[in-house]
Amino acid sequence: MPLATPPAPPIVRNAVTASGLWRAYGSGEAQVVALRDVSVAFASGAFTAIMGPSGSGKSTLMHCLAGLDTTDRGTVNIGDTVLTGLGDKALTKLRRDKIGFIFQQFNLLPTLTAEENILLPASIAGAKADPAWVNRVIATLDLSDRLSHKPTELSGGQQQRVACARALATRPDVVFADEPTGNLDTRSSAEVLGFLRKSVDDFGQTIVMVTHDPSAAAYADRVVFLADGQIVRDLHGPTADSVIDTMRDFENAVPLAGKAA
Amino acid sequence: MSTASPVKTTAVAAQGVWKAYGQGEAQVVALRDVSVEFASGAFTAIMGPSGSGKSTLMHCLAGLDTTDRGTVGIGDTTITGLGDKALTKLRRDKIGFIFQQFNLLPTLTAEENITLPLAIAGAKADPDWIKRIIHTLDLTDRLSHKPTELSGGQQQRVACARALASRPEVVFADEPTGNLDTRSGAEVLNFLRTSVDDFGQTIVMVTHDPNAAAYADRVVFLADGQIVEDMADPTADKVIDKMKHFEELVAAAQGENA
Amino acid sequence: MLRATLKGMASRKARLVLTSLAVVLGTMFVAAAMVLTSTMEKSVSGVIADAYQGVDTVITNGTDPAAAQGNTPSAATVPADVLDRVAGVDGVDRAVGEVSGQVNAIGSNGKLVGTFAPTIALTWDSGDDSGYIEFHEGDGPAADGEVAVSAKFVADSGLDIGDTVTAYSYTADRTDFEIVGVYGLSGDRDSLAGETQIMFTTADAQRMLLEGEDAFTTVYAYGDASTDDIAAAIGSDEYRVQTGEEASAEAAEGFAVVADFMGYIFLGFGLVAVFVSVFLIINTFTIIVAQRQRELALLRAIGAGRGQVVRSVLTEATVIGVLASVVGLGLGLLLGWGLSQVVSATMMGGLPVQLLIPATTMWALVVGIGVTVLSALIPAVKASSVPPVAAMREAVNPPKPLRGITIAGAIVFAAGTVLIALGMTDNLGGEELTGILSGVGIAFVGVTMLTPILSRPLVALLGAVMSWSFSGRLGKLNAGRNPRRTAITASALMIAVALITGIATLVSSIKSTTAEVLDLNLNSDLIVSGAQGGANIPSFSRETLAEIRELPEVAAVGDVYMDFFGTQIDGEDAPLASSEDLNAALGVFGGTVAEGSVTDLAPNSVVVDEGTAEDRNVALGDTVEVTYADGETAQLEIAAILDGYDLTNGWWVSPEQIEHFTLPKPMQAYIQLEDGADAAVVQNEVDEILADEPEVGVTNNAEFVDQQTSGLDTILAAVQILLALAMIIAVIGVVNTLVLSVLERTKELGLLRAVGMTRGQVRRMIIVESVIICLFGAVLGIAVGIGLGWTVQRALEDEGLTNFALPWGLIVMYLAAAVAVGLLAAIAPAARAAKLNVLNAIAYE
Repeated sequence: MPLATPPAPPIVRNAVTASGLWRAYGSGEAQVVALRDVSVAFASGAFTAIMGPSGSGKSTLMHCLAGLDTTDRGTVNIGDTVLTGLGDKALTKLRRDKIGFIFQQFNLLPTLTAEENILLPASIAGAKADPAWVNRVIATLDLSDRLSHKPTELSGGQQQRVACARALATRPDVVFADEPTGNLDTRSSAEVLGFLRKSVDDFGQTIVMVTHDPSAAAYADRVVFLADGQIVRDLHGPTADSVIDTMRDFENAVPLAGKAA
Repeated sequence: MSTASPVKTTAVAAQGVWKAYGQGEAQVVALRDVSVEFASGAFTAIMGPSGSGKSTLMHCLAGLDTTDRGTVGIGDTTITGLGDKALTKLRRDKIGFIFQQFNLLPTLTAEENITLPLAIAGAKADPDWIKRIIHTLDLTDRLSHKPTELSGGQQQRVACARALASRPEVVFADEPTGNLDTRSGAEVLNFLRTSVDDFGQTIVMVTHDPNAAAYADRVVFLADGQIVEDMADPTADKVIDKMKHFEELVAAAQGENA
Repeated sequence: MLRATLKGMASRKARLVLTSLAVVLGTMFVAAAMVLTSTMEKSVSGVIADAYQGVDTVITNGTDPAAAQGNTPSAATVPADVLDRVAGVDGVDRAVGEVSGQVNAIGSNGKLVGTFAPTIALTWDSGDDSGYIEFHEGDGPAADGEVAVSAKFVADSGLDIGDTVTAYSYTADRTDFEIVGVYGLSGDRDSLAGETQIMFTTADAQRMLLEGEDAFTTVYAYGDASTDDIAAAIGSDEYRVQTGEEASAEAAEGFAVVADFMGYIFLGFGLVAVFVSVFLIINTFTIIVAQRQRELALLRAIGAGRGQVVRSVLTEATVIGVLASVVGLGLGLLLGWGLSQVVSATMMGGLPVQLLIPATTMWALVVGIGVTVLSALIPAVKASSVPPVAAMREAVNPPKPLRGITIAGAIVFAAGTVLIALGMTDNLGGEELTGILSGVGIAFVGVTMLTPILSRPLVALLGAVMSWSFSGRLGKLNAGRNPRRTAITASALMIAVALITGIATLVSSIKSTTAEVLDLNLNSDLIVSGAQGGANIPSFSRETLAEIRELPEVAAVGDVYMDFFGTQIDGEDAPLASSEDLNAALGVFGGTVAEGSVTDLAPNSVVVDEGTAEDRNVALGDTVEVTYADGETAQLEIAAILDGYDLTNGWWVSPEQIEHFTLPKPMQAYIQLEDGADAAVVQNEVDEILADEPEVGVTNNAEFVDQQTSGLDTILAAVQILLALAMIIAVIGVVNTLVLSVLERTKELGLLRAVGMTRGQVRRMIIVESVIICLFGAVLGIAVGIGLGWTVQRALEDEGLTNFALPWGLIVMYLAAAVAVGLLAAIAPAARAAKLNVLNAIAYE
């Protein structure tokens, strides 16, 4: 699929929609219910954070939304496409063309340079990325003089920025970020989050980010709070403090009956 | 194996420690002239932002890494300059380790993992002491399980038991609750606290979590390879405030450089 | 994707080197085998074509091509008048008749000339100007009584020009000849292919080989007459008319059989090596895939399809396969050339080697590449099923259940054993041998599939011996933690050990059978017999036999006369034996009579063993008809039935029938000494009596057994060397697995070092793991090998292989070798593990 011109931001209202999701692991006594009847929609062109204590199901929710994991019940849509029930081939194509990923670590292939890593999804698709767009992304992320370096020659922050560039290079419908700043120090975190914010503001990108860090969540337009597999709060226009307060309420409210990892 | 002595001596001491990586332009100075002492029978936390050198400090204190300058001592022994064999023996007999993950050998049961350092030394464990630890950590019915059959919290508890099994002079814990949920994390921290209070154990813990630091008797703050603060009787809030303060300092410093 | 794959490979260079090495070795052997075969064929036909140089037409008696060589008592000949007719054909410049065959020539030491072939007798063609024959000294035999001999003959016999040589054949008595010339073959060679030659005049040759008949074994025509013209001139289809090239090609074929045989052996071992490589490759790629898991999951997460992932892994395999196979092919060509030189020098008298690289060596490339890619297929497909979620966390690999492969393995093994059992109980309608061999192969595969499930108990058992130290205990646990991987690694070793043990078991069974057959009841102390090197069955004179009987220390002599050329009983082929005094002979042999009597055997009687009697449906008192080679028949009455016993099984005719035998001379004598006689002294005395008997010698029982089995020891040694190749690959496999395991277990090793394990303890841990894996493979291999040997022995029991004997000495040696190999293989991995930087190992990124 040649990406000759960056398409105008789609006028679909919701980039990602989940309806009545259930997900459980294990069986019998050892069964853990990770998601209980979760329904949520993520607006296109918005930056949403998903937060919750350990074991709340936030990672599971993201995996299901991104098509990386199957659900026991319920449906997931990416834009107009129904994700649930798609075969592996179709899912793969979807991940390649419409979804971008940024993980907490191990985002890059250690044997490729930064530039090759950024262009990786396009290479896999056998397509050419739009050079103007890619250059813009690289410039915005301040990676122009790092392109020929291998991941081992880059700092943690730089690696994550390369990962961001890769995620955006194909202008996906949605970017899923799983604790993207978890391993970074404050300054690098700020850079990455700043860029994510910019991509939403300037490029109309849709971002769904899982995080445990309140100051990271503060960059988002909206924070969805999960606890014990259910959505318990929806915060718009978050600040670090309001997030901290909300989190504290949970940890006190949720008794120690939470499932051990 | 050392006995838990109630006398407040210094369990671990660092004097004028420098540690740098790399060469020339790309050189990173991880520790700059760090001098610190950790009292015996106390629970100390080491905190600092990413890149502050806290992990490096712990590695140097534990004899896992060498220093460029300065000395490190464990109890009466100066570890600086020791050869690999001697260092290994030291780690086996006098130091306990709890890592963030990969603490256990997958081929051994929980019980065998607990007595691992002793088995390596070919020594016999003190059965009463082991029983006590196991009981305190509530692992009695998990002893014959392999790590894959244990939850993350249980694995870390086994790691704790192992760290204490040989009654070391000091236990180094590197982000022991980093991968655990709140409840499991609390269990582990409680146990560490108990071991200090009831057994007189010395614990040095690296962490980034203010709630974890609150369990300690003292928090040492590192930034840019130097000790910048030494807080006694920490609480989560005090620690959070301090951390926020640093981030502002660091951001300001970077703002100047940018 | 391609670039990512290639770059990934570059970073894993070291890991792939060992895998490549295995493919190189396997391909090398396959290619060498092919080159050897074709080169030897070409070389042989080259020298034979030399011999036929200039010959335009060849006429032989068409009834029995083999007989045209004068091999058998009744040679098929071309009469002299046919020669005249051929000479008279238009276009024929010259027609020459040749008489050729085999004779026994007595060397200067009184024994036969020629090591493993009789001396070739030829006629001297004085008109031959082709230059094929070059005289070093003297000239061809001008008159009867003179001979010329080849340079090899001179070398082997100790005789030279001017000496007298005694020659005789099946049909001619000893005659003396004077050596008047020594010749070599064109190209400064002593022989065609290591044989000795002697050249007679035509008349002498006819006397020696054709009982004086005025005929030839072959007629050569020179000129430009066509074969049709000549055939028409002869006018009978009893004779074959061929062009020189046709005849040359036919002759070359016969020789080439030997070269082919050797080529096939090498090919067989090459294929074994390739088969063993399969395990190595599967293991390597399984481990590589496991280590790339996160990377592959990432690729899947960002949109790479399963097919792309499979292709990525297979690309790696293809690159290795191509590179390694090309290198292996090159080395194989070199090796093939080298082997040809060795074979030619040692076995074929310095035959000039004409290198021929057949197009079929390309198959070595196909095999090498194909095997590599196909072996990597399974791990590749598994790689593609990595769930993308695995990119998010440190995946724990739970050991896969073994139920599937165990059940499958059991079924395959059962199928194999059923096939073997059917074959052994004669239920496969004539295809017994094929059935048994296939069954063995299938059972082998079945055992290989069962290896993982067997590894657990066996590793635990073997490990128990070695886990006195804690590091030893950890090593044992590591050996057992991944049964599939351990099994695959050990299987390679198992195959090599199984094959060698099987062959060693067979050899020791054969030796034991032979020894037992002699020891069981045999009462003789010395045996007079000959090695089969002459033109006929080795024999000696009756006078010599009588002389031996008269020795004071000799208590009794069991003599044996034999004939099997065209002999029949009741119309069916049957070898015959006889003895001057069967009763005494049985006493020496230790045979016993079941029915009837052998004392004072009446004329026109025959004695037979009960087994043969049953097969032929005859009983005491029945009459059978015996037919001899010369066509004569006689009616014989069965005078006794013998108990079944190897040495005396068969048909024994009464002594007056001996004159009908093709060679009515004693062939073996079993000498029983008086109590208290000194066997060594008597042996010397018999030796002196035999001074005049070029064909036979005297040995004591032990020497006799050795003589019969010496060939086996050579075969066993050769097989061991060839299987060493497979062993090397298997060892490479062990090293490979260990190195990769060490890399995989970096964090664990870091933990152990952090909690206080010394470098020495770490090394010991790896060493124990290595030794256990190797012992496991060896123990299993020995068990399977014994099974193989037993199966073949049972299958051949009826053919006389009655004993089953385990080669205990060799088994112990193989076990010791396994331990040594384990220690050796552990050197590099242990060093790697001990050198580990603890800090890097326990870091998380």
